[in-house]
Amino acid sequence: MGGLGGDGERVDPAEKLASKQKQISIGEFFEKNKHFLGFDTLQRSIITAVKEAVDNSLDACEEARILPEIKVEIQRLKGDNLKLISQDNGPGIPREDIANVFGKFLLGSRFHAIRQTRGQQGIGITGVVMYSQLTAGAKTKVISKISKDSSAVFVELGIDTRRNKATKSGENREIWFDEKAGEAIPHGLRIETKMKAKYQRGRQSVFQYLRMTSIVNPHASISLVVRDRDGSIIEEGDWPRTSERLPRVVNEIKPHPHGIQTGTLQRMLKESAERKLTSFLRHNFSGVSMRAAREILTEAGLDEGRSPKRISADDVHGMIAAFGKVKLVNPPIDGCLSPIEDLLIKKGLSKAIDSRFASTITRSPKVNQGNPFQIEVGLVFGGDLSSDGPIEVLRFANRVPLMYQQGGCLLTKALEAVDWKRYGLDHPGGKGIPKGPAAVLIHLASTNVQFTSEAKEAVADNEVVFEEIRLAMLEVGRGLKGHLKKSSQRKKAKEKFELINIILPEISKKSSELLSRGEPDLAPIITKIMNAVFCEEELGWDENRGLATCSITIYNYTARARAYTILAKWPEGEGTAISENPLGGNKQARGLWAWRLDTLNPGSATTIHFGVSGLRKGEWSDAEIFYRGNGEVIGATKIDEKLLDELRKAEALVVAEAELEQPKEPISQLKERAELSEVSQTQSLNEGQTNLFEDFTTNDGFEVEE
Amino acid sequence: MDRQKTKEEVIDALHGVASEMHDKMLRGDPPTMTLPVRSKSNIGFDKKLGVYKYGKKKTVRDATSLGSARQLLRALHITEFIEGMISDGKTSTLREMYYISEGWGHGKFSNQNESNGVSEDLEIVTKCLREDFGLRPEEDGARIIGNVTFEERNRRGDWMRINCRDDVGDSGYGVPYNVESEKLRMIDQDIDFVMAIETGGMFDRLVENGFDEEARCALVHLKGQPARSTRRIMRRMSDEWNKPILVFADCDPWSFRIFASIAYGAIKTAHISEYLATKEATYLGITADDILAYDLPSDDLTKQDLNALEAELSDPRFSTGWWQEQIGLMKEIGKKAEQQSLAKYGLDFVTDTYLPEKLSAMGLSY
Repeated sequence: MGGLGGDGERVDPAEKLASKQKQISIGEFFEKNKHFLGFDTLQRSIITAVKEAVDNSLDACEEARILPEIKVEIQRLKGDNLKLISQDNGPGIPREDIANVFGKFLLGSRFHAIRQTRGQQGIGITGVVMYSQLTAGAKTKVISKISKDSSAVFVELGIDTRRNKATKSGENREIWFDEKAGEAIPHGLRIETKMKAKYQRGRQSVFQYLRMTSIVNPHASISLVVRDRDGSIIEEGDWPRTSERLPRVVNEIKPHPHGIQTGTLQRMLKESAERKLTSFLRHNFSGVSMRAAREILTEAGLDEGRSPKRISADDVHGMIAAFGKVKLVNPPIDGCLSPIEDLLIKKGLSKAIDSRFASTITRSPKVNQGNPFQIEVGLVFGGDLSSDGPIEVLRFANRVPLMYQQGGCLLTKALEAVDWKRYGLDHPGGKGIPKGPAAVLIHLASTNVQFTSEAKEAVADNEVVFEEIRLAMLEVGRGLKGHLKKSSQRKKAKEKFELINIILPEISKKSSELLSRGEPDLAPIITKIMNAVFCEEELGWDENRGLATCSITIYNYTARARAYTILAKWPEGEGTAISENPLGGNKQARGLWAWRLDTLNPGSATTIHFGVSGLRKGEWSDAEIFYRGNGEVIGATKIDEKLLDELRKAEALVVAEAELEQPKEPISQLKERAELSEVSQTQSLNEGQTNLFEDFTTNDGFEVEE
Repeated sequence: MDRQKTKEEVIDALHGVASEMHDKMLRGDPPTMTLPVRSKSNIGFDKKLGVYKYGKKKTVRDATSLGSARQLLRALHITEFIEGMISDGKTSTLREMYYISEGWGHGKFSNQNESNGVSEDLEIVTKCLREDFGLRPEEDGARIIGNVTFEERNRRGDWMRINCRDDVGDSGYGVPYNVESEKLRMIDQDIDFVMAIETGGMFDRLVENGFDEEARCALVHLKGQPARSTRRIMRRMSDEWNKPILVFADCDPWSFRIFASIAYGAIKTAHISEYLATKEATYLGITADDILAYDLPSDDLTKQDLNALEAELSDPRFSTGWWQEQIGLMKEIGKKAEQQSLAKYGLDFVTDTYLPEKLSAMGLSY
């Protein structure tokens, strides 16, 4: 950041932020409406204070393209008082803007922007300053360092509630020194405040809030220390970043007429710089063409040339009604939302929750009442998760955790509407939250999240959003079902192996000893017991070479020789490659590699080993194995040649059109299709053999008589 | 009747189980163990023996699943363990064997029900008794008081002569787990009948009142559902001394089942019913009639009681007219009564009035 600071021509990101802020004065609002703002109970107040500070830090870092490092410290004081320190490495706030940012309500760079942001109303941090003043009579100490200044601003803030103005005291400039690192801090913000509040643990706690925040912000490093009066640690948490990738910059879009409310329209009209209604409509809204603007005005009975500033309240209602009648194009949805994206959800979940299986989905963006929105769902299962009691539901709106009113929230209702029994979770009566060792994350990203109340604790009912969530749930549900089926198959195979490798030899030994007879030959017995081909895969991690490894072993426990082609799904993508592969093989489709095996004689086994570079430890947790050949292979799925064929054609088309988008989850469909129809399997097998990879398939699946 | 097997016969029978497995394996097949189906569907009333026996349905346990294979391995471990005990002249409780199985590696049991189950399997397949195996249960046998004389071989191998009236205290003679002739001899008696009593309180009442001498009988305390050895010693007293066995129990559906297990055999031990059941045993009381005739203090039948009565009505063991009538009456009055409810009329009422009246009705007046 040093270079940026010395560059006079570039605008410091902090200044850019502050310049966008508009002032809206509602001074004493807070005192009367503490309950709206999350300061209604002592337990809740500290959570709200942390939330406001951390949300601001994350937003500021995101806009300034800085990977956030946020430290939260809470210290118990005498009585029911707490000291809160929150520090970030964000852009800081320019000296002249500090009073505004901390001293006024409804002030924030985001209030008029229509796009996905965390805060959205900017009521935030001022409330903390005010609560501190009201309950502890304390000033809030702020240290702010922007990179272009050589020193940081140290200042204490209070609030004149009647005049809606911050009062500053003890302001001075100093070098802000990081004592641990022994160097000056280049940029950042630190807030220290005291307030009447109680620290509590559990589901509704600062800890849980930060844990959830870290899940949906895998690019942020967040830490928490809570100390008792004597300095002993009550609770601490450390959630380091798992991704270096900042959320993408979201475009601001103009509001769409379908989502607009009367008050907002009135305000927009009043503040309009346009002289005519037609230009007002065209310039301030998305999806409104000249033709549409005229139609709206005709429908509302308004003259095109009227000045927007002089529109009566009745006419405003008329305009809103007209918005609903005129056909309008949807707002642009690309780029105005910032989904977490499924791989990062997986990472975020895995850093906070130790589980065996994760299934995630990012749905494509949709529009509802003029507002683009997008649903993401992640499901983790097994591992350390408790298997009795309801699953954990992690709700998020625009990356902000929702911790209260779970039952009344649309996100919860959509989760409950799924018949989870079908997907392997216990769901008594098909009602309420399902039970089992699972956690479900639901993220609603939207330019306009509708909450049930000002307190912004629960998402309001909406059929379109509900259906999107439900569909996303079904997708992760299918993933879970597949995982459970595979686990039970694996368990059965494991039992069989134990039977023939351990128990049977012992039966043979013991009975021979008892009877003083010779031991029988077990090979033919094993074949009779197993009478199947088994496939076992094992994923590993080669620490030295940074290689994700996969071993696939095929055991032929049948009385005949067998030949197969084995196909494995692997995480092909940018930066990943199969870098170790002694058996060669070839690529069948994106993310699908195949090896043809030599003839497997009865009682013999063979192993395919390969390594994938470009992954981190734990990133590849679930391999999928397919086979081409006769009979059943326990532990693998017969490949659907027809679908593979379609897949390859689609890929060829994509390449031909030079498109970069990849078909969505193509290989998981293979499995589903394969399970759906036995008939199509056999048909497609034959087709696959004649059409494709003839060198591969002509010898596939033959049986050799003994 | 001598059903006692020699050590060699027992070991041969056990080796038969191991042979079935070994022979199968020699032929290239998974090892198996064949045993009778042990469910109600395969239990029938043997008219000739007058007791319940397993039918002809067989099940083959083969080592094609892990669970079954483990059972086979466990049976072999138990076989080895029993052989060891037989050659060392030792016995062990079922619970001890369960703990010993901890050292059997993949053949160990995860709970005692499993080990008891496999031991029973071996009994059934080999047609031996668990006494032949040197295995015994924890629960001790009954207590006996009365003018009967046994000889019991003690742990030093000496035969001890015990008269159950003169050589014992108030708690009576404790019946050992094994009452076969190698361990217990029936020497002498001077009684007219044997009375089996369900509850300890009533047993002690009759002892205190000197009922055994007054009525010339042997009193046997059943301790609820009687242990195998208790049923076996009553069978021997019936067979070898030709004395009537009378059962004196509470008047409730569960006591009826205690009687049935004495008289006809229990489902769990149907493979050895002919050794354990005494088909000559008679139910003395308390009957539903008695509740009315003596106006006994009673409790209402619970839902479970009624269900149990209902099941008994369709149970062939209770198919006689007398039982059908008693069960019907009991359902009708909706009451049950304990033996000790007779104390309503004083401590001596049972010995002075109730039992004499009941016995004389059976032609056993004294």
